Amino acid sequence: MMKLLILLTGLVVLAGCGEQPQTITAKPGTSAAKADDVPYGEGKSFADRNAWQLQLRARADNQNEYKRVN
Amino acid sequence: MARMKFICDAERCIECNGCVTACKNEHDVPWGVNRRRVVTLNDGIVGAERSISVACMHCSDAPCMAVCPVNCFYKTEDGVVLHDKDLCIGCGYCFYACPFGAPQFPQAGAFGVRGKMDKCTFCAGGPEKDNSKAEHEKYGRNRLAEGKLPACAEMCSTKALLAGDGDVLSDIYRERVMRRGRGGDLWGHATAYGRPDAKATGPILQSIPQKS
Repeated sequence: MMKLLILLTGLVVLAGCGEQPQTITAKPGTSAAKADDVPYGEGKSFADRNAWQLQLRARADNQNEYKRVN
Repeated sequence: MARMKFICDAERCIECNGCVTACKNEHDVPWGVNRRRVVTLNDGIVGAERSISVACMHCSDAPCMAVCPVNCFYKTEDGVVLHDKDLCIGCGYCFYACPFGAPQFPQAGAFGVRGKMDKCTFCAGGPEKDNSKAEHEKYGRNRLAEGKLPACAEMCSTKALLAGDGDVLSDIYRERVMRRGRGGDLWGHATAYGRPDAKATGPILQSIPQKS
């Protein structure tokens, strides 16, 4: 009976060692998200940041109908 | 560094909901989730009715980023606020923090179980590989990587909704206000059909030379 009690106590104590951490690892002010690749570069539609920004700038400017009409 | 922003011109928005439809179609947004919606104030009151199209405004100091317990939000180098759906736990804190009600939660199962948060991505996708199937399924199309602005703004028929670099948008909006005037000049027959007497247009409109 005593052996069984010691065995059970040992098992209960050891069970604590297998416990997985329940806390989140996120630190305030830092993002835990996966790294996102930039929308330009090798294999993309635009080779570099400058070309990409020029295209977006042209698109944004095109929203001004005063420029488009006149 | 560009700061990607939206601006909605309340004097131009005609509540057509074209932006809402364009967004839903572009990103295959599920039923019950509206990344963008049109809000109308003073509905039906002549001369006082105003509509604006609202979505995530990609805040410079985004409250959703501050309250997220798992820090799934991140900001691109162009100021677009995005999030990682693989980390999101659907707690809804971001919804309570957002002043625009931008975060949306799909019903993930029976009994109103809340799914992972979904919001406007400025058509910039997410952290998955650009224009991949995984990115499209989770976040929708990545138009920014194609050199295109968000579909909602590019589809807007009256160009009430503008998207792009904040400085460019400021210039466009400033020019509009200078040309169209303000107050009583904004609304009425003369605004719609032109003014018979150029001298009657007021000092603001006269300050900009117009081509004949």
